[in-house]
Amino acid sequence: MEKFLLSLSDAFGQAPYRVLKFKNFVLAGLIVMTAVMVYGIYTRTTLDMTTDSFLDDTDPAALALDDFREQFGSDESIFLVYRAKDGNVFSRESLEAAQQLTDDLRNWQSLDRSEYPESINGIPLVWDELSHIRRVQSIANLRYQESVEDSLLSNRLVPSALPEENAELGQIRGKALSLDDYLLAFYSEDAEYGAILIQTDFGTKPVEGFVSAVDAANVSLDDSFASFGDADSFDLEFSEDVEVQEIEFEAVDMLGYTSFHVMSKAIYEKYETQFEFFPVGTPPLMEFMLEMLSEMQVLGMILILIFTLLLWILFRSFSAVLWPLVTILLSIVWAWGIPAWTGVVLTTMISLTIMLIFAVGIADCVHVMSAYFSFRREGEEHYVALSHAYRKTGLAILVTTITTMCGVMALTTSDLAMIQVFGWTSAVGVFLAFFFTIVLLPILLDLWHPGDPDADASFADKLGKRWHRLQRNTKTAIAVVYFVAVFAILGLAIGAYIAVVTILTYVVVNWQKPILGRVPAITARHPYLIMAIFGAIFVSCLYGMSKIRIDSNMAELTREDSIIQRAYNVVDENMAGSQSMEIVINTNAVDGMMNPRLLQAVDELQGRIEARYPNEISRTNSLANIVKETNKVMNDDDPAYDRIPDSELMVSQLLYLFNSSNPEDRRALVSDDYSKSHITISAYNAGSYQYQAFFTEMEQEIEETFAGLDAEFPELQVTVTGSMAMMMRMADDLARSQYASLLLALGIISVIMIITLGSLQGGLLAMIPNLIPAVLSFGLMGLLGLPLDADTLLIAPIIIGIAVDDTIHFMTHYRIDLARTGSISQALISTIRDVGQAVMFTTMVIALSFALLSFSGHLGMAKMGFFGSIAIFFALLCDLFLIPAMIITFKPTFGVKNANTEIDFSKAVQA
Amino acid sequence: MRRNILGKGLVCLIAAGLLFPLQIIAQDLSAREIMEELEDNRRATSNSALSRMQLSTCKFGVREGKITCAERPRVKSLESVGKGYGTDLRDTRSVAILLEPAAERGIGMLSFIYDDGARDNETWLYLSALGRVKRIASGSSDDETEPGSLFGSEFTTEDQDTGKLDEYEINLLEETVEAGREVWKIETIPNEERARKSRYSRTVLYVDKERFVELRIEMYDQYGKEIKRMLGSRVEQMNGIWVARSTTIMNLVTNRLSNMAFLEMHTGIDVPDEFLTQRTLTDAAFRETELEKLRAQIN
Repeated sequence: MEKFLLSLSDAFGQAPYRVLKFKNFVLAGLIVMTAVMVYGIYTRTTLDMTTDSFLDDTDPAALALDDFREQFGSDESIFLVYRAKDGNVFSRESLEAAQQLTDDLRNWQSLDRSEYPESINGIPLVWDELSHIRRVQSIANLRYQESVEDSLLSNRLVPSALPEENAELGQIRGKALSLDDYLLAFYSEDAEYGAILIQTDFGTKPVEGFVSAVDAANVSLDDSFASFGDADSFDLEFSEDVEVQEIEFEAVDMLGYTSFHVMSKAIYEKYETQFEFFPVGTPPLMEFMLEMLSEMQVLGMILILIFTLLLWILFRSFSAVLWPLVTILLSIVWAWGIPAWTGVVLTTMISLTIMLIFAVGIADCVHVMSAYFSFRREGEEHYVALSHAYRKTGLAILVTTITTMCGVMALTTSDLAMIQVFGWTSAVGVFLAFFFTIVLLPILLDLWHPGDPDADASFADKLGKRWHRLQRNTKTAIAVVYFVAVFAILGLAIGAYIAVVTILTYVVVNWQKPILGRVPAITARHPYLIMAIFGAIFVSCLYGMSKIRIDSNMAELTREDSIIQRAYNVVDENMAGSQSMEIVINTNAVDGMMNPRLLQAVDELQGRIEARYPNEISRTNSLANIVKETNKVMNDDDPAYDRIPDSELMVSQLLYLFNSSNPEDRRALVSDDYSKSHITISAYNAGSYQYQAFFTEMEQEIEETFAGLDAEFPELQVTVTGSMAMMMRMADDLARSQYASLLLALGIISVIMIITLGSLQGGLLAMIPNLIPAVLSFGLMGLLGLPLDADTLLIAPIIIGIAVDDTIHFMTHYRIDLARTGSISQALISTIRDVGQAVMFTTMVIALSFALLSFSGHLGMAKMGFFGSIAIFFALLCDLFLIPAMIITFKPTFGVKNANTEIDFSKAVQA
Repeated sequence: MRRNILGKGLVCLIAAGLLFPLQIIAQDLSAREIMEELEDNRRATSNSALSRMQLSTCKFGVREGKITCAERPRVKSLESVGKGYGTDLRDTRSVAILLEPAAERGIGMLSFIYDDGARDNETWLYLSALGRVKRIASGSSDDETEPGSLFGSEFTTEDQDTGKLDEYEINLLEETVEAGREVWKIETIPNEERARKSRYSRTVLYVDKERFVELRIEMYDQYGKEIKRMLGSRVEQMNGIWVARSTTIMNLVTNRLSNMAFLEMHTGIDVPDEFLTQRTLTDAAFRETELEKLRAQIN
């Protein structure tokens, strides 16, 4: 085994020479291929940004949702809650504004477009987006049924022409607050908040170019439509084999929702003098998510800037910055170009793939460059230093590539196509980063490489020397001015971040050698203490991990002061709640929903749910409510009739009345053949964990309530669905499977370590420092009571993969050195000296870059950025202290025969 | 004058004789005049008339080029009596009683439709199971209420509305051929006020040049998408009035259609004013006695 590893290392040492032999050929080939990839990216990329891509479309609840939309229309809407600035939504001014706004939204085509801005936040206004509006409901156009003498009146709650007298406005308010059906749905109990429900056709709009089957050439009515027999017979032919045209609905992406919400915002923001707005629903949420994405782009740019700056300061050479960047860029281009050319549909997760390639590429290049520089400083000339550097690091890079690939490939076991694609493209990307580091980097360094470190000092070197010539007092003064300026300009949070970056960089640049030099002695002196400290941390993190709660909560994905978070809170505190879900009832029997016993069961179920979850659910609504309400109204508002009548004939006629007066409302509530209907549940915002439990319990309630109807409705199906609830459920499933695949990846990595290190003992030893950073971030979150959500879990494997990489570098290097020198002490010292620097550099660059994500408005991202960089830093501590302490204590020989296990660093240094 | 004759339904007596000259006149008719002729003809079917109709509703599909019901249609049969009132008999009062299905038997609807756009149509509904009559706030009078469904079918009260032509811009688009007949293709676009009350932003009618019967109507929503289509078939003279005995409305969004078939239509019936009141809805005995009298007139 060790022979094989050594010859593999030698092969890596030869690699630069071989590549350089075919330099022009390789370079030309890469340039051509890269051009092809770029062309593919621009012309062939299929990017699916629809939210449906998150859903597994074979899930029964997802199918039920599709079915629901087809039957009852889109459930996507903007619930635009507003706070009347005068504290009363029933004041004359508030009512006028609400009337005007409702009218603007309904009749947007007649608005004067010159009164509106061209764009909001840089997003151009597209007026046609408003054609998604299907219906607008507000105080301004609500109606209530009233029975006055012989008339069944459907009166406006607020007349179009507002009454002159304020007393009458007071009466309207009184009436409104007495209407249970509208209270909390359209105004709060204290009348400070109101709401406008803007229903859309998202998800139910036929695809562009959809042609109705009746428009095909030579289509005409069946002959039976014109054939009259004698006066009493006219029968339309029918055949159940006739296929009803399936309408393919347009998928909606984030941009679609955003564009729609931004346009709506332009309309409603005109009324900001009167109202403060709190929009909730998918369109505003998607707008927020898209904002997060563009924020990520900004953070990405800063990240590259910091990364460049750090590399430059650490290596003090421009070529050492430029060429790694080019290598990484090429890996990204190829990793995107290949799926583009092969027709794979990409999702927004490609940004995560890019992040991963970026991190892995940095690690690969920094290890090579760091080794290269140390050889140059030892006096080797360029080619020799390059060859030595590859011999030293090549194997470790290969191993980290394989482990990271295995880690991301664990994701391909997911049921969701988007996660599978993410797994594959990331695996390809990680391999490409390795490939280009081996093949391209030597050629690039041949074109332009850092000069002799002693002879021609770089700009950074000169800057450093000048700084050191300064007086101590001057240095202190400059430092104080610098830190004050940083905090003054950037604020406390970002200022602190930059200060930490500065201090760490300063320390690493100036004292890396002394620090690394002292490490072996420290570990040799207190190996047990070190192991005890790390052991305690490991155990407490394991405990923390057992406490971790997997929970995705839409509102908690954002910071407390974010627009979305505030809107959700306002809606949950003052109105009927920001979430909704549906219970779909399919009797599979024509007119089944007219059955009084079934409707009574529906009514009972609603009562049970409302009683069981007073804190989670605000209200429910169904066909049963309509029947009860109509029954009462038709019987002079006698409360005794506020119930489902026992006679089917009566139910049928009450529904007849409802259908005659509100066919569209009826269609949104019950299918045309009265076989299917649904209960809408308004709920307060909750996390996926709670939802999941809720789903399960609800299914029990359903089972119990409808149990007695089996004989009458043998094919009765009752399913819980709804897009928000679905998203929650999916988020939870996703998080769980991610968590599982993460653990799987850790297992795989351990096995690879055992194989590479050539011994079970060594492999198991290496697993401990590998596991600590992984366990640390989850454990800390568990200890701090922070939930682990789906988004956080998506980037977790990336960060953990990177944290693990350095450990692998350390162990692999140690293993090779041990084989070479046959002495534990020597191998340890040279490993700490050589790999220590590279590990320090990569940790600095990657951890500090990821720490930047902590500033993201997306809390899932921020959490992982913060805990991830802690994990990466912790991995460094493990590499420098724990691994040596364990080696000193357990003296593993990794199968190297006759190894000298004596620990004596003074001798080793001399050797 | 011509309108009067048509309006009173007397045209039936001389229709054959007038056919030729009518066509000559027709060439010079403006789009508005065509619409008036059409509406007069429409009113004639309910003026002093007793009809028996059958409403069938089903989900539909297309098989071998034929639009066919994909499920057993739900069939409702009803009897309707109507009469013209007001200037030129342009207002219509009618009463319709459901005979089938059993669960809805006896449900009745009394409606007053006014030509004047400023005047609200009125509707009373009688639910036999409750034994109560209720006046339903009119759909067309108010900008926010949706038009009611006609006996639970795809036809809405708006589809049955007549008059109010002043509130539309009416354009003759072209003269063409539909279902083998020469037609005028006319579009009607509601003015802003009417548009707020209507589901349709534009309607395109294919009017038979000779018989003043719509052979096809396309209804477009506010975004210019065709949402409903009405097809008239089996155009024949019933009691001298050209009428599409079978009218089918297709909801292109939900793939459901409703067909209204005139099983019988008798005009020139002397309908007492008393019959077109709420008493007919609530008083079954009165209704039956009066209906018998009306039926007797046919024979």
